[in-house]
Amino acid sequence: MLQKKICMLGSFSVGKTSLVRRFVESIFDEKYQTTIGVKVDKKVVSVGREEVTLVLWDIHGEDVFQKMRMTYLRGMSGYLLVVDPTRRQTLEDALALQARVQEAMGPIAWILVLNKCDRITEWEIDLKQIGPSEGSRQAVIRTSAKTGEGVEEAFSRLAQAMLHSP
Amino acid sequence: MPEQAQRRAPAPEPEERPEASDRAFEELRHIIVSPEQEQIVEIRSRIENPERRVEDVSSVVAEAIQLRRQQGDAAALSDALAPTVEETLRESVRKDPHILADALFPVMGPAIRKSITETLRSMLESFNEALEHSLSVRGMRWRIEALRTGKSFAEIVLMHSLLYRVEQVFLIHRETGLALGHVTAASVATQDPSLVAGMLSAIQQFVRDSFSSPRQESLDSMTVGGLEVWIEDGPHAVIAAVIRGHAPADYRLALQQALEGIEGEFSAALATFQGDTGPFRTAETRLETLLVTHYRERSASARRPWMAIAAGALLVGVVTGWISHSVYQNHQWSQFVRSLSQHPGIVVTSYGRSGGHWLIRGFRDPLASNPASDLARSGLDARKADLEFAPFYSLDDAIVGERATGLLTPPAGVTLTDEKGTLVASGMASSAWLTQFYERAPLIAGVLSVDTTKLRNSEMASLESTVLTFPLGSAELDSGQQDVLARAARDLGAVRQYADHTSQQATISIVGHTDSSGVESSNQVLSNQRAAAIAVILVRDGVPKGVLVPRGVGTTQPLRAEQSDEAQHFNRSVTFHVNLSPVSSAP
Repeated sequence: MLQKKICMLGSFSVGKTSLVRRFVESIFDEKYQTTIGVKVDKKVVSVGREEVTLVLWDIHGEDVFQKMRMTYLRGMSGYLLVVDPTRRQTLEDALALQARVQEAMGPIAWILVLNKCDRITEWEIDLKQIGPSEGSRQAVIRTSAKTGEGVEEAFSRLAQAMLHSP
Repeated sequence: MPEQAQRRAPAPEPEERPEASDRAFEELRHIIVSPEQEQIVEIRSRIENPERRVEDVSSVVAEAIQLRRQQGDAAALSDALAPTVEETLRESVRKDPHILADALFPVMGPAIRKSITETLRSMLESFNEALEHSLSVRGMRWRIEALRTGKSFAEIVLMHSLLYRVEQVFLIHRETGLALGHVTAASVATQDPSLVAGMLSAIQQFVRDSFSSPRQESLDSMTVGGLEVWIEDGPHAVIAAVIRGHAPADYRLALQQALEGIEGEFSAALATFQGDTGPFRTAETRLETLLVTHYRERSASARRPWMAIAAGALLVGVVTGWISHSVYQNHQWSQFVRSLSQHPGIVVTSYGRSGGHWLIRGFRDPLASNPASDLARSGLDARKADLEFAPFYSLDDAIVGERATGLLTPPAGVTLTDEKGTLVASGMASSAWLTQFYERAPLIAGVLSVDTTKLRNSEMASLESTVLTFPLGSAELDSGQQDVLARAARDLGAVRQYADHTSQQATISIVGHTDSSGVESSNQVLSNQRAAAIAVILVRDGVPKGVLVPRGVGTTQPLRAEQSDEAQHFNRSVTFHVNLSPVSSAP
């Protein structure tokens, strides 16, 4: 059995927890989340013929009061970088965070997730603004934890990316 | 270079040529060889001069060592260097210990601290346990159990301290927090091991970050209600055991040993772990050895009711038996004391028990029975009693009677009894004994008065039963009656003596009788003559005339009915009658 540690990264209130809940439909312990800022979930996905257990570390979003603990990321195989496009700042913070992670841990598979696509009218971000990423091999996926759109895809794309990268 | 020099060296061989050519040749040789010669000199000086050699080696020594290591022969290098390094360290410490101490401080400090902390903590744990066990209700129960089973309290505490069950053991990859292995005890409800392992790692990291503890230290245990989670950290792996109850401190050692074994066996797989848990499946056999369960209390508690019932029944039996035995014993002793105090001449003033020993106190007349032999006869354990009896004179009737008998030595046929202070004498005794009886009896303790109404003087009785017979019509004794008269005279003397000693006046009537033949008037005369004749004889033998009163009664007081000659003969006689009266106070 193959297991992979995946982290949910992104600013405060971008919908990381909602995405995980949508994906997994189970909650480990609500109290831990508020106490120590991490909630761990699990989901088995199939990549090709192989089954992979994704252990999801839903890490408390960064804000002015709380910096993310890089130690939580240790040993992860990939991460979802979640952005709330209705708040432009979350994209800038996310990209800065990605740079920090890359610096600290080297190249690791990741997916940029634009959440809340059900409220696309409120978006402050033009898709063209992140054009370079879309053009490159870096995956960008639009999701909605509310409707479920793109959620499965985001996780399975990440799983594929992890397995195919060394 | 040296090879070149050697090759060229044989060149200036033809030296014994003529002068001119010699010179030219020398020049040529100089031109050709001189630079190399200089180099040879230079090289030789480098070889021969130690300072230069040191300089040369110093420039390549580091690279040389590195190269040797790369060649994969590090062991030989270590062997070569080790003695020197050791000697160097020793010398360094000898010269100035502070340098090495400062260098080692960052390593030693945490190591020592961790060791001390561990020791103190296990000490505290056992101290807490001891306190808890000795002060709680459970502790009291265990003390009773210790008493019941005859084991030491420490053993009982130990027995119960070992009560724990390891319900789950996790093997977690330290870096990723992924579960490498998970074993559970039978019928234990568990969470998904991946989630638990992940959360445990998160907690570990949170604790490390939040309390900025040095790398070596981390969360050792957590307590959740009745569950404890013991965590043991290795370089690549973490073992977490979920324990219900209190495991002994030794169990941590087992965790450490298992972890060390796993780290050793799977070191390569752990270092290159990419999420494939397949290689760690065999580690689960090691984890299973950690699933320790102790059922001791259950078996003990299952047995306990029967043991307790049996012990309780036995206890009740023993107590009941003991109580009835002691009640019975008390009753026996009271009976004995009561019977003792009913003995004449024994007074029990007090009796009681202290420390299983009876003390009976009182007074005892020397003539009374011995309480010790009474006790021996009673069947009671004589060793359990102390008898303290002071001697005294008892006024009990029986004792007084016995005492009087002892002191007065009455002749056979005389009995002495006491009735409430009055000594009653009955029977027949000689005047001599009676004399001393009257003298001594009132002096005996307990004798207030003497009753002699049933006591008879043997001489007086003998005298009064004496019959002196006469021939028909005669006032002279029958032949052969002299002896009877002599005996009567002796009796009379004794009676008189007795009367003297007892302050009495004895008067002896000498009564003459006749048979019914003949006329009454002559019979009267004859009876007078007979009485007078005896009186004369007695007076002649020394009896004062005044105590004798001779008189004839004729046929008026016949001794027998005259139905035969013999009876008629019996009536021709003289008899005696003694009259004792107190001596008048007048002189």
